[in-house]
Amino acid sequence: MVVVFSLFDADRLPNLARSGISPTNTMNKEARLKASINQKLTETGERDRLKELLRAKLTECGWKDQMKAQCKDVIKQKGLEHVTVEDLVVEVTPKGRALVPDSVKKELLQRIRAFLTQHAS
Amino acid sequence: MKMEEKHLSGPDNTRLEVILPRTDFFVFIFAYLIPVLHFVLFILQALIQDVYSELVEDACLGLCFEVHRAVKQGYFFLDETDQDSIKEFEIVDQPGVDIFGQVFNQWKNKECECPNCKRLIAASRFAPHLEKCLGMGRNSSRIANRRLATNNNISKSESDQEDNDDLNDNDWSYGAEKKAKKRRPDKNQNSPRRSKSLKHKNGELGTSVSLDPYKYNYNAGISYESLGPNEIRSLLTTQCGVISEHTKKMCTRSHRCPQHTDDQRRTIRLLLLGPSAPTLPDADVEGDSFDIPNGQALLSRLQWEDFPDVSPTDSASSKASTNYSDSKRPKKKKRLDVSLISGGGGVNMTGVSSSSCQSSISLSTKKKKPKTAAPSVSSIYDELN
Repeated sequence: MVVVFSLFDADRLPNLARSGISPTNTMNKEARLKASINQKLTETGERDRLKELLRAKLTECGWKDQMKAQCKDVIKQKGLEHVTVEDLVVEVTPKGRALVPDSVKKELLQRIRAFLTQHAS
Repeated sequence: MKMEEKHLSGPDNTRLEVILPRTDFFVFIFAYLIPVLHFVLFILQALIQDVYSELVEDACLGLCFEVHRAVKQGYFFLDETDQDSIKEFEIVDQPGVDIFGQVFNQWKNKECECPNCKRLIAASRFAPHLEKCLGMGRNSSRIANRRLATNNNISKSESDQEDNDDLNDNDWSYGAEKKAKKRRPDKNQNSPRRSKSLKHKNGELGTSVSLDPYKYNYNAGISYESLGPNEIRSLLTTQCGVISEHTKKMCTRSHRCPQHTDDQRRTIRLLLLGPSAPTLPDADVEGDSFDIPNGQALLSRLQWEDFPDVSPTDSASSKASTNYSDSKRPKKKKRLDVSLISGGGGVNMTGVSSSSCQSSISLSTKKKKPKTAAPSVSSIYDELN
């Protein structure tokens, strides 16, 4: 209970209680929450740190080289001269998301959670 | 629950009425909060996932931009070459061979012929061998000097060896000493520390013992025992000649050498040449004044210096004769034996100090002194006579 109270402002709970859990309300709340969290991430510099961490980990585990191989395929397919950024992005990003190793994913999630619980307003 | 207890303090019907809705309220809140909690956790998880996927997409996009730029600038495919080159420079993964296909220490087994001595030397040992063979390296000159010094000493000391006991006695043989000495690394010889202590202790009366008197064996200097009286005289007229405590050698510097005083030089001349011998060109003989008042101190000093002892009773001539006739003996043993004889004769103190000197030196050189002292006493007496 204490945790919950800490997550929400004292006034928000009565609000929720009053207006109920309607979809729009939650969406608004969620959006606001998300915005504030994003802001917090950027302000403290945690976002950049996380970005660097992710990049380093992905290079280290070989994900980057795998992705480059994928890009080579796409380029060979589309032709060297006419490949565009969009081509690459559209083809390569889903594969990239899927190819992230579990360990890296877990670690990153853990870090984000730690940050959120620490800085929850 | 706590709030209920508070209100129970004042039993009031109205209060009791309040309690019930309170519990109800709590239950209601609890029931209400569970889904909210659930919901919140959900949201939290979703948020985390959102942040994560944003980061991953960022990374992917970054990669795409990088690749695209490389393609457009033309350096994306630079690491690929034609098939032939790829085959040629492929990483080798065979045992006994490195990744380039080269054999490790292939040249280790090769032998080269030395142009000097015409021997076949292993390749890895070739350079040091050449250094020694040609006599041009740093170490080779050092070794050569050392060899010359010890050869001189050995040839002189063994020239009139009459008593084989002394030679066979490993504790005292000069060769064993040399071996023990050789084990010390070269770096000790020319360290600044060494020269500093030499400066302090050279020729001083009654100074502290260097427990390892043979530490500094290869100083530039002359060993006086290998020289005849005439040679000594001639040397002393030109050189400082003060005998260093550490090396037992005469200083080869000029008469004005800063390390030694004129008094020391006088003493040396007196000791080596007898009181009648010519002295320093610029000083008078004051040998007696040294001998008599400082008899004991002189004795101990001379023992440390490994002199033949200057006992008040001994004449300088007998001392000199022991000097030359016993030159064959290993230095240390001879000195101490002589000191035993001359000291043990009348002066108890000397005997004690000599034995202590012996024991200390024996500690350092790990030799069995007491055993050798007794039998050689008689032999030296013979020689003296």
